[in-house]
Amino acid sequence: MSGEAVVEPKPAVRTSLFKRYENLTVLSIFAGFVLVIVLLQLIMGGGAKFPTFISPVNLLNILQQVGVPGIVAIGMTIVMISGGIDLSVGMLASLVSIITALGISKWQLGVVPSVLLGIAAAVGLETIMGFIISRTKVEPFIITLGGMITFQGIALLLCSSREVIMNGELDFLKANLIQGAKDPISHLNLIIPPYVLIFFVIALLGGLLLSYTKYGRRIYAIGTNPQAAYLAGIDVKNMKLSAYVIMGVLVGIGAVMLLARINTGIVTLGQGLEIDTIAMVVIGGTALKGGKGNVVGTLIGVFFLGSIGNAMNMLRLPSEVQFVAKGLVVIIAVSAGDVSNRISGFLSRRRELRWHAEQRATKGESVESTK
Amino acid sequence: MRVNVRPIRGARLACEAVATANRERQTANREPERLMSEILRLRNISKTFPGVVALRNISFDLNEGEIHCLCGENGAGKSTLIKILSGAYQPDEGGEIFFEERPVVLTPHLAMNLGIQTIYQEHVIFETLSVMENIFAGAEIVRRGLLHKSEMKRQTLAVLKYLKSNLSPDAKMGDLSSGEQKIVEIAKGLVFKRKVIILDEPTASFSSVEIDNLLDIIETVKNSGLGIIYISHHLEEVFKIGDRVTVLRDGRKVSEREIAGLTKTALIKDMVGRDPSTFYQREKVPIGEIVFEARNVTGNGARDISFVLKRSEILGISGMAGSGRSELMNVLFGSARLDFGEILINGRVVKQSDPKQAIRNKMCFITEDRQNTGLLLPQTIAQNVTIANLVNTREFVVRSRDDARIGDRFVKQLGIKATNSQTRVVDLSGGNQQKVVLAKWFNTNGEIFIFDEPTVGIDVGSKQEIYKVMVDLLKQGKAIIMVSSDMPEVISMSDRVIVMKNGEKVAELGGDEISEENILTNSIGDKTI
Repeated sequence: MSGEAVVEPKPAVRTSLFKRYENLTVLSIFAGFVLVIVLLQLIMGGGAKFPTFISPVNLLNILQQVGVPGIVAIGMTIVMISGGIDLSVGMLASLVSIITALGISKWQLGVVPSVLLGIAAAVGLETIMGFIISRTKVEPFIITLGGMITFQGIALLLCSSREVIMNGELDFLKANLIQGAKDPISHLNLIIPPYVLIFFVIALLGGLLLSYTKYGRRIYAIGTNPQAAYLAGIDVKNMKLSAYVIMGVLVGIGAVMLLARINTGIVTLGQGLEIDTIAMVVIGGTALKGGKGNVVGTLIGVFFLGSIGNAMNMLRLPSEVQFVAKGLVVIIAVSAGDVSNRISGFLSRRRELRWHAEQRATKGESVESTK
Repeated sequence: MRVNVRPIRGARLACEAVATANRERQTANREPERLMSEILRLRNISKTFPGVVALRNISFDLNEGEIHCLCGENGAGKSTLIKILSGAYQPDEGGEIFFEERPVVLTPHLAMNLGIQTIYQEHVIFETLSVMENIFAGAEIVRRGLLHKSEMKRQTLAVLKYLKSNLSPDAKMGDLSSGEQKIVEIAKGLVFKRKVIILDEPTASFSSVEIDNLLDIIETVKNSGLGIIYISHHLEEVFKIGDRVTVLRDGRKVSEREIAGLTKTALIKDMVGRDPSTFYQREKVPIGEIVFEARNVTGNGARDISFVLKRSEILGISGMAGSGRSELMNVLFGSARLDFGEILINGRVVKQSDPKQAIRNKMCFITEDRQNTGLLLPQTIAQNVTIANLVNTREFVVRSRDDARIGDRFVKQLGIKATNSQTRVVDLSGGNQQKVVLAKWFNTNGEIFIFDEPTVGIDVGSKQEIYKVMVDLLKQGKAIIMVSSDMPEVISMSDRVIVMKNGEKVAELGGDEISEENILTNSIGDKTI
């Protein structure tokens, strides 16, 4: 290309930090939040006591609380990046827990078959919804809303509107993996149950899948521009379907973990799970319109949302306040993300323009000299 | 001379007057001199955009009860002129517009108040509302704070009856054919007593019955004293209803003629006539064997198309907007259904029911609308460049480092003006975005390239670079199908040219036959010329 010869060496790239690490905005808000809570604790405790909010036992406590929503949030991240949404996860989790509990206590299927049955039900139902969503033009919002109501109904029918109590058959899932470890500060027992580990494993796998595989590239592509993705040889319909299938697996696993914690299959078990997971995912920077987001962001969202209720307890605020706080965090985090995007977008456009202007100036001169 | 400069102030005022006015129009004989009174006069209209002169010193006028046609190739400046008349663009310094003898500075608002209505090619309608609601949208008749439905219905019916249309005022707009929707838009012009109606390509994608029907209606409207500016690629229509025709070419007014006594050959002569020495001089490459063949391809609006494509050859596809060129390309690439016919690659019949298979068969499709169908705008150059080749790679794992390396290689090779391959595509200019699309397909190692409007919306410098890239492809033994509305581009780049009209192939030209006049005669004229 004739133009190439006169192109000057590129200037040092000065990308804003907030652009290079897209999760930095929400991470700094989270850090600010933790700092405020710690300071409040120090002030209220007269500065003498160690702030319990960041004591190891409390951090592990938060982990236990967010483990299950975290697993579902990873699935929600994939679905939302692909341009979809799933409102049915809460009621689906309830349904799975009831099926599994019934399988163990009433139908006497044994623990492993019952768990597999529950997970298979979740995968099957998500596949049906994914099939409808990918083959029709109906909004995923509506299909999964219908799914949510339907699943609630099926769950109530199965358990005759009663709870299904088990005899601790799933207790091995909440066994403490670090038996005997003590918090050096409060001398309380430290607990890490297996489902926290499973959450981390799933988060790791989800992150790798999205960032380092062909599958991930395609999920981002169909969420960004389905038309262009289709013309680039991507099977848009089946990719969308696959996101819901993965969601089914994760909801199944999450529901079994939830059941293990409570030991009772009940329809309220997954109530509000969809709200919490969607909130976690959007706090983490995933766009509702698809194509944008990542697992690291979601993890920050998971810990952030999970620690709000806990922090309110620590500050001895009434539990109702936590809803206000959670809601505000969603609003603040997402708006701040947009503002920082605009700023970095503006800066990068200005930089490109300036660069082009310099290019033109130097090019004009060198064209003269080469003639 | 009637000098009536009272602008239509409120829709309500207009509506009250319209019913009686329409009745008068039907019965009263108009005096001849009133028919000829001038509504619009444009003097010395020029319009310059950064880097492009779209219009140069255009003069144009329109009388009451006249149909003044505008002709010219794609990009001749017709659309710019319409936009000036509708107030969307302001002409450059020195241009004057007179409305009923008074100088005016047109804004969209003033144009509307003066009674100039533009009916664009794309319908601007509310599909879920009724015919009546569409006509009165934004200017509803209100009585005591409530919609006065019976009055609106009465006026709608009166106008529809006058137009001899039996549409119901309550029919849903979305249920109507595009011909009927056009009639509703024209009816709106009558209800609000407009003085000028501008019709931009009104019959694109119409059936012949619909065209006849619409032309009748336009004549009825004309006879009620409105001035009509009619833009069409179809010379038959121009000759059927036009009184005068102005021909534009490259932003200049070439001629203004009375239709009476004019021949089609003379009109086409006016429309062509560029100096070929100003065209891009393409390097010739020796042409090889047949690599791609379409046999009786039918589907998606294309009908019974057959052609062959040879190695190191550019096959141009010409034709007016709406002639089914892009539709055909989608069929060839597998992104639209092939109803009938066969596609052969290297002599073998291939089944391509989706783009994935086409890419595996080494086809590439550079689409017309790169932002909506070609690019993942918020993503980086590297991600865009590597996305189509995922079909061909076996590895499940992809590394960002490899993507960046490939991206950077193409940034350098094609001279994409960006700091590096991590720049987001949305931040690039049109020409550089197009290069990213090219890089995406080069990365798949394709052999058969479909370029749909390769240089649309691209500055002159980038245009030349893209032409060079295309010639480089030919040297590597690739074959190119190029759809283009840019006449110099078709003539200078193509080895052979297929001309399409109404979804059919009407001519295949080669060598010296490739001329503006030949292409235009086939794409807009009758076969009788």
